Amino acid sequence: MRKEPANRLSSKGLTVWRLYGWLQTAVVLLLAIGAGTLTFLFDWPWWVYIIAIAVVLIYGWLFIYLFPKIRWSRWRYEVRESEIELQHGIFIVTRTLIPMVRVQHVDTAQGPILKKYDLSAISISSAATVHSIPALAAEEADELRNRISALAKVAEDDV
Amino acid sequence: MSEPRYKLHWVTVLVESLKALKEAILPLVIVLISGRRNNDSGIWILDNWSLLLGIILVVYLVSSGFIKWRRFTYWFEDGELRIESGLFVRKKRYIPFERIQSLNYTEGIFHRPFGLVKVQVETAASSAGEAEAELTAVTRDDADLIKIRIAEGKKRKMQETGDPSEVEMDGVGSVETEPEEKRVFSLNPKQLVLLATTSGGIGVIFSGVAIFLSQFGEFLPLDKVSDELAGLIEFGVFIIVLLVLVGLFVAWLLSVAMTFFSYYGFTVRVSDEELIITRGLIEKKRTTIPLSRIQSVSFVENPVRQLFGYGRVLVHSAGAADDGSKIQLFPLVKKRALYEPLQEIFPELDLREPLEKLPKRGRKFFYRIDFIWMIPVIGVVGWFFYPYGLLALLIVPLVMGFGIWQHRSAAYRVSGNQVTMRSRGISLETSYTMRKRIQSAHMRQTIFQHRQRVASIHLNVKSGMGVHNVRLRQMDVEEAEDLLNWYEPSRESGCE
Repeated sequence: MRKEPANRLSSKGLTVWRLYGWLQTAVVLLLAIGAGTLTFLFDWPWWVYIIAIAVVLIYGWLFIYLFPKIRWSRWRYEVRESEIELQHGIFIVTRTLIPMVRVQHVDTAQGPILKKYDLSAISISSAATVHSIPALAAEEADELRNRISALAKVAEDDV
Repeated sequence: MSEPRYKLHWVTVLVESLKALKEAILPLVIVLISGRRNNDSGIWILDNWSLLLGIILVVYLVSSGFIKWRRFTYWFEDGELRIESGLFVRKKRYIPFERIQSLNYTEGIFHRPFGLVKVQVETAASSAGEAEAELTAVTRDDADLIKIRIAEGKKRKMQETGDPSEVEMDGVGSVETEPEEKRVFSLNPKQLVLLATTSGGIGVIFSGVAIFLSQFGEFLPLDKVSDELAGLIEFGVFIIVLLVLVGLFVAWLLSVAMTFFSYYGFTVRVSDEELIITRGLIEKKRTTIPLSRIQSVSFVENPVRQLFGYGRVLVHSAGAADDGSKIQLFPLVKKRALYEPLQEIFPELDLREPLEKLPKRGRKFFYRIDFIWMIPVIGVVGWFFYPYGLLALLIVPLVMGFGIWQHRSAAYRVSGNQVTMRSRGISLETSYTMRKRIQSAHMRQTIFQHRQRVASIHLNVKSGMGVHNVRLRQMDVEEAEDLLNWYEPSRESGCE
C-alpha cells in the first residue's frame, strides 16, 4: 500500500466549509419557505410542507455536517523535493501526483471568507492541468508557494 | 536599417472575400428567402429590401477582403517576423523567430494557377484551429524566403548566445543544408478508397443535408409536394424507404468524395526534427510538426476496421496545428505494416503489445453503472409497449457483453520510461506515452472499487492547449500503485 500524503488542511478549513454549507442551506431554506407560502395560499396538499422541511433538514445535515467532515478528513497533501501529492474526494477518492518538473506556476487566492479565517487557496498549474489545495493557513500557503516555485525553477522544461 | 516590406498577392482579395462569404452564407440565404414574401407594396425599395441588403452585404465582404489585402504588410526585423494589418485599428504582431514552431502551407484552388501558397505560422501559443499568423497568399519564392529568414535568424541567435542548446532548432530546419526528408508512409490508391468508404463522415454529411432541407423547407412549394406525397403513400411505404435510402446513399457518396479529395496523395515524411504531412487533391496541404512537440502516439482500431486488421494512428501535439492538436499520422494502416514506419519516426518507442491484463474482479464495474439508466428505460418501455416492450430486456445482455468485451480488451505494459495502455470505448485505442510527457497522474477509487481492490489510472498528457487523458479503468490496486510509483520522480532512480 502506498502511504497517504502526510499533511492535512488547516482545521479552520472545516469551519469555512461548514459556513459555506450554512449559506447554501439558507438558500434552500428560502426556497422551502417560498414553497410553504405557496402551499398555504393555494391550498396545495399538506405533504408539501413535510417534503420542504425534510429537504432542508437533509440538505443541512449533508452539507453542513457530513460532507465537510468526510471531505476534510480525506484531504491530504504533501510537497516533496521532486513531486507534489494530493488526495481528495468524497465518493471517489482521487490521488494526484504532479512532478515538480511539470509545475509551470503556482497561485494563491483568498476570498473574503477565506481572508476572515486567515486562509488561502493554492493552485498548481502544469502545462495541461490545474490542481488546487482549497484551504491552507495563509502563511503556510505563501511559504508553500515559494517553495514550489523555487523547486520548480530548478527543473528544465521539455514540453 | 530599413528592411524591405512585403505584400500579399492580390488573389488574397478573392480568397478572403470567398471565405467571408462562405461564413455569411446562412444569414445571406435567410435574408434572401425571407424577402420573397410581402413584396406587393408597390414601393420598389420595400419590395426588394432583401436583395438590396444581400448586395450591400456582398459588397461589404468583398471590400473588406480588398482592404485586408491593401493594408497587410510583413517584414523581417531584429530577429522577428513583423506583421501589420487593419484599416482603422492598426494591428501589429511581432513574432520572434525562435518562438516559431512550424510553418504550414496550404494550396487552395485559387492558389494553384498562380503558384501561390497560404502560410500559417504556428507558435506555442497558437490556440486550437487558429494559427498565430496567417499569410493568405504569397508566392512560392516568398514562402521559401520566409523559411530561409527564420532559419538564418535562429542560427544567428544561436551563435550570439554561443549555446546551441539554448535555441531549439525544431520547427524550421536550416536551409543551406536542406535536411534530408525521408518518406515513411503514404496511402496507396486502394487504401485511399478503403479509407474513404469506411470513414465516419456519413453522419456529419447527413445532418448537413437535414439542416439544408430544413432551411429550404419554406422555399419549396410544399402544398404541391404534400399532394404528391399523398400519392406516394398510396404507392406504399416502400418508395419512401427507397427515397430515404437513395438520399443516404448520395450523402455517403458525398462523404466518400470529400474524404477522397482531402486525403489524396497522403504522405508522411520525416527529417531530423520534424514530421511533414502532405495531402489533398484540390486543396494541397503541407503540415509540419516538430517531433519534440509530439506528446503521445496512439493506434485506434474501430470494430469494423479491426475485423479487417486495419486501424489509424493519431498523435497528440502540444502545438495546435491546422487540424487541431490531434493529428492523423496514418489515417489508415494495416496493423502488420504499422510497426516499421512508426518505429522509423519514433525510434525510442517500444511498440510491443501490452500484455498485462486486468483482474477479473473489476469486470462488473464495466457494466454495473449502466443499470442506472437501463432499469428505468426497460421499465418504461416494457410498461407502455407491453408485451413487445419487454424485448427491451435484450439490451441487458448486450450492454453486459459490451462491458465484458471492454474488460477483455484492456491491457497495459510498462517498459522503461514508457507506458503502453490499451482500452476500448467503442474503438480499441492503444496509447504509447513516455513518462516525461505525462503532466500529472491520478489514481481514482470509489468506495465500491476500494472494496474490490481495483482502481483507475488517469494520465494527463498535453494536447494543444488542453489535456488528453490516457486512462485505464479497474486495474488491480497494487498494480495501479506501482504505476503511480513508476511515475513518481523521487522513486525513479530507486526502481530502475
